Amino acid sequence: MNSFWNGKRRFVALLMFLGGVFVALRVPPVIPFIQLPGEKFPAGYDIPFLDIRLTNTFVGSVIVWIVLLLFVVYVTRRRPKDGNEVPPGGFYNMFEMLFEGLMGFVGGIAGGRHFRLIFNMFMTIFLVVLLANWMELVPGVDTIGFIHPHVKEKYDVEKDEYKVVTTDGYEIYQGFLGISYVNGQCDWISPADEAAADEAALTAAAAAAKAVEMDLSQDAAYARYQAEHDDHGEGEATGDAHGDDTHAGEAVESDEAAAAYDEVLAARLAEKQARRDRSCYTGVAPAPWETGGDDHEDEGEHADEKHDILLHPDPRSEEAKHVPWVVLPFVRVPSTDLNMTLSIALIAFVMIQYIGFKALGIGYLTKFFNFSTLFKSPLGGIDVAVGLLELIGDFAKILSFSFRLLGNIFAGSILLFGMSFLVPILPWPFFILEFFVGVIQALVFALLTAIFMNLATVSHHHDDEHDHAEAH
Amino acid sequence: MDPQSTIILGKAIGAGLAMIGAAGGGIGIGLAVGGAVQAMGRNPDHTPTIQTNMILGVAFAEAVAIYALVVSLIILFVLS
Repeated sequence: MNSFWNGKRRFVALLMFLGGVFVALRVPPVIPFIQLPGEKFPAGYDIPFLDIRLTNTFVGSVIVWIVLLLFVVYVTRRRPKDGNEVPPGGFYNMFEMLFEGLMGFVGGIAGGRHFRLIFNMFMTIFLVVLLANWMELVPGVDTIGFIHPHVKEKYDVEKDEYKVVTTDGYEIYQGFLGISYVNGQCDWISPADEAAADEAALTAAAAAAKAVEMDLSQDAAYARYQAEHDDHGEGEATGDAHGDDTHAGEAVESDEAAAAYDEVLAARLAEKQARRDRSCYTGVAPAPWETGGDDHEDEGEHADEKHDILLHPDPRSEEAKHVPWVVLPFVRVPSTDLNMTLSIALIAFVMIQYIGFKALGIGYLTKFFNFSTLFKSPLGGIDVAVGLLELIGDFAKILSFSFRLLGNIFAGSILLFGMSFLVPILPWPFFILEFFVGVIQALVFALLTAIFMNLATVSHHHDDEHDHAEAH
Repeated sequence: MDPQSTIILGKAIGAGLAMIGAAGGGIGIGLAVGGAVQAMGRNPDHTPTIQTNMILGVAFAEAVAIYALVVSLIILFVLS
């Protein structure tokens, strides 16, 4: 390995440098953009068969699952079949060391009848959270993604036509942003072309209406002709009918012409809407018929403002320099999404209650609803209050678990993200810091789960002293 | 002063005030680690137990500071 890379590293560095130059020329400069909920991908990247928008934290957690499964497969394959075999070295050995160390660690805390279950939960949570936390150290996570203009605070909405401005920043991506020129999914349409297409649609609609009208008038003439020639036997009644026919014919004429006109315009609108839904809309001012007619003078200023803000022609063009661009990363650290931390916290909570019921049976509930001493001792009411506090405290565990992990890792990833915007080389000490924060948070999460599970297996009154007696 | 600036001003001040709560967590962690290190110095044989309890205590103390952090993050990035 080493001999292969000798003397070639400089070319790798040169290649990376050239790649950086290429990216710098190709991609507009971005501003740091921080968002607490997982960023939704632009439309078109939905999860198939489900009506759910993909978020980048979900992608991150899927990667964590895959890596963890590969890890499990690898470790179970490499495990020596019997004790005499020489264990394979390297990565497997490292895992075995970690495993045994943590086993002893947990055994010191929660060694007992339920050690197996507690240790399984501990190790699972530890590995999942550790991998999720360490994802922020991987280059490309949080930095490579869709590039789109950021107009959240630049555009004040009254009508919210493009759903550009939102309170929570979600509709930014659903509306017209996330143009994703990076992956070339969207075809750019310049505002001039868009306006020209609008004009063309208008003229086409007018032409269609005219054609329908002409057709109808020919039809009407033919009908009149027919009616005149059918005049023989029916007498006055046909006269009345004739009159009705012409009236009806005129009404139909105008209606159908209007329908044809509307049809063409609707097709054009649907096209624009489709592009907007694909998040490829270039953000020109709405078509004349969308704003409700010819009051261009009234809306002139407003439309111009909109135009300036929403106009993002080519990212490399002169106008693009005045638009703030942001990155919507493909992958974000899953622990920075409350959904992930909350779900692990809920799993931990459920397991704590499960092991409590498993160890103590229905008597576990007396921990929370302790009425046994209410009428026996003068201070029985305190026991009831303590039980209720324990109940509240158990639910508070969910919050404390999830927010602790979220806060630590989100703050850490903001730290790395923000530092990367200052100087390229600067963040490396923070990477080391985050390495340890990731380990400690994973350990704390798993350790607290193990301790609470162990506490839940211990009954309140008699077993306490019993255990103490046993320990001493 | 236009409304947008007022909103930003309020958010910044509020987030900064919320982070005062982190001071308590810092003091708590300092006390816990200081005590644990003293205990470990006096009684090195019990280092593993002390360390475990210290990490637990630190995690609990830190959680309070993290609540403050989450509140200020919500003020900054979720409120509008």
